[in-house]
Amino acid sequence: MHALLQGVILGVLTGGVYALMASGQTLIFGIMKVVNLAQGALVIMSAYLAYQLFTSFGLDPFLAIPITTVIMFGVGVGVELAFLRPLRREDKSELSLLVTFAVALLIEGVLSVTFQTTYRSINTGYANSSWTVFGYQVTVVRFWAFCLSLLSLGLLFLLLNRTRFGRAVRATVQNPESARLLGVDAQRVSAFGFGLGAATAAAAGSVYGLLYPFNSGSHYDLISRLLSIVVLGGLGSVGGAVVGAVIVSTSSAVVASSISPAWSEMTFFVILLLVLLVRPQGLFGSVERGAI
Amino acid sequence: MSRNNRLRGHNAAAVGVSALVLALAACSSSSTPGASSTSSTTKAPLVIGASISLTGDFADSGKAVKNGYDLWAQQVNAKGGILGRQVQFKIVDDASSPTQVVTNYQNLINADKVDLVFGPFSSLLTVPASQVAKRYNYAFIEPAGGGPSVFAQNLDNLFFVQPAPVVKSGDVFADWILSLPAADRPKTAAYAELDDPFAAPIAENIRTRFEAAGIRTVYKQVYPAETQDFSPIIAKVAAANPDVLVSGTQSDDAYAQVKSLVQLKFSPKFMFMSNGANSPSQFPDKVGAQNVNGIMSAGDWFPGSTAFGSADFSAAYIKSYGGTADTIDNSSAEAYAAGQLLEEVAAKTGKADNATIMSSLHQGTWPTILGDLSWGANGAPTGSFNLIQWQGGKLLPVFPAAVSKATPIYPKPGWGG
Repeated sequence: MHALLQGVILGVLTGGVYALMASGQTLIFGIMKVVNLAQGALVIMSAYLAYQLFTSFGLDPFLAIPITTVIMFGVGVGVELAFLRPLRREDKSELSLLVTFAVALLIEGVLSVTFQTTYRSINTGYANSSWTVFGYQVTVVRFWAFCLSLLSLGLLFLLLNRTRFGRAVRATVQNPESARLLGVDAQRVSAFGFGLGAATAAAAGSVYGLLYPFNSGSHYDLISRLLSIVVLGGLGSVGGAVVGAVIVSTSSAVVASSISPAWSEMTFFVILLLVLLVRPQGLFGSVERGAI
Repeated sequence: MSRNNRLRGHNAAAVGVSALVLALAACSSSSTPGASSTSSTTKAPLVIGASISLTGDFADSGKAVKNGYDLWAQQVNAKGGILGRQVQFKIVDDASSPTQVVTNYQNLINADKVDLVFGPFSSLLTVPASQVAKRYNYAFIEPAGGGPSVFAQNLDNLFFVQPAPVVKSGDVFADWILSLPAADRPKTAAYAELDDPFAAPIAENIRTRFEAAGIRTVYKQVYPAETQDFSPIIAKVAAANPDVLVSGTQSDDAYAQVKSLVQLKFSPKFMFMSNGANSPSQFPDKVGAQNVNGIMSAGDWFPGSTAFGSADFSAAYIKSYGGTADTIDNSSAEAYAAGQLLEEVAAKTGKADNATIMSSLHQGTWPTILGDLSWGANGAPTGSFNLIQWQGGKLLPVFPAAVSKATPIYPKPGWGG
């Protein structure tokens, strides 16, 4: 029982990290109807950035987040302008799958040439520390990562609901045609939206690098999880991504602890399948119009 | 019929003559004034072909193997080569693909007509490659294919250049534990094993030995390769509170297990990891140098080894590739040892052909920088790895006594100590 609860505590905290990555993914889908298969690669790229800043300048990965966020926002806008904007065809959504996958492979290739394929890990003094709370271990990194996720998601919420840009984004999500008629610059919203999605990868990357050893190929494991999370939560719903992330990481912790780690991924997919049978749009997705 | 033969003979003679003329022309053109001194006694080089993964999944390890081959060639050529012939490697890239590796060895043997072949990286590529070599009766000295699939082929031309098959690499830990006085031995054990032919079987071999000796199994978990978060597994290990933790690991899972153990504040009295912990430069970098002490693993070559030619190898490696003895990749050492074997066969028999290599290596023991090697009929080495332990931030051989440079420390110091 103790081991199970311990697993659940760490699972919920880890869920926060995945929520951060998945919120970017779902945002991009909501705005552009683009399933971004490069989100995992962007997270790994940010992890390498944080790693490099830490090893070269001794910059703490948490303090590096403002820097990496700006860089990743730029990368996101660049990817949108260079690869996604030229897709003007009817089947843009389907094509974007191929294009973003190509972007993921490109990032992976560049990273493996630059950093080789050996595993890296960001080893700060506190990387393996934990607090003992009522006999349970709460790891420092996961705790702060969880707080950071809440903070970032809060900022994202404010941005989407309290700013002019956010209103433009939401309008585009709900009805792109009407938004354009009302003077919203849909292209700018798309570029900034993709940039914003990529920027959430920055904070997630720093935390990921602290939690797990990673190499350029790590994004494959990530993207399958992220896709499942956003589909479970409902494509395009940020709130759904958060709930989905917590369900994923908690259920896999519980199953790994009580049955076997071999079943943990499998169990989650069963949950996903059941939810989709009952609610094809996911937990918080909307059938009629977009929802954020 | 006879006419045909005569004609063929005539043609062959004509070809032979023209070849001779060409060769002479080549000689005369190369022996320009001033360069004449070198032309007289040089023998044809001994060409060794090898396919290596210079790109793809195994690229990093592949390059380490290439470094080992190149370094040995450089060393042996400086000493005058093999039987007076300079060693030349013909290395081609297989992009880590088991189909490309077959094409590569077929080309090396048939088109390039290399004298000998050495092995590629990984068991995955060694299995198809060794079959090609067998078809043409080439000896297959290979430093990096030690999985069960390699020896299950029962090839008599294959020689795996490591002390023991990979799945037996952990047996030395069981040997050491069972050599301890009964009072000091662990009573309970936990096993965390990666579901991989190079990880779980190592831990399973140890478990069989431990259970037979009365060490009770309190927890055992096989986890899939995609396992990323080890907290649930390690939380169960901690709850079972074993004296010894045996981890059948590869690399990143080993780092993740240690990180989880530190975070959950559980430090067993004895700890063995099949892989990952045996990397002198990577391991402390990944888990923190303060967390490595007391952890055991298995290895063949180690810095400061006194095995045959080891000091020369170490010095030459650092001279050619930089770094320190601690950063030498074991794959390079194993590749270098493959060359040593060839050198010794040639010195002993005066020949360096495939048949001689095969018949020689099947008899007796052969000293290398990895220690003395000998092989069973299927190419599986019959020795054992060394038990190594992290002590004071360094990886030292601690068992068996013949190679040990320090006494094993137990119980393992706590994390951060």
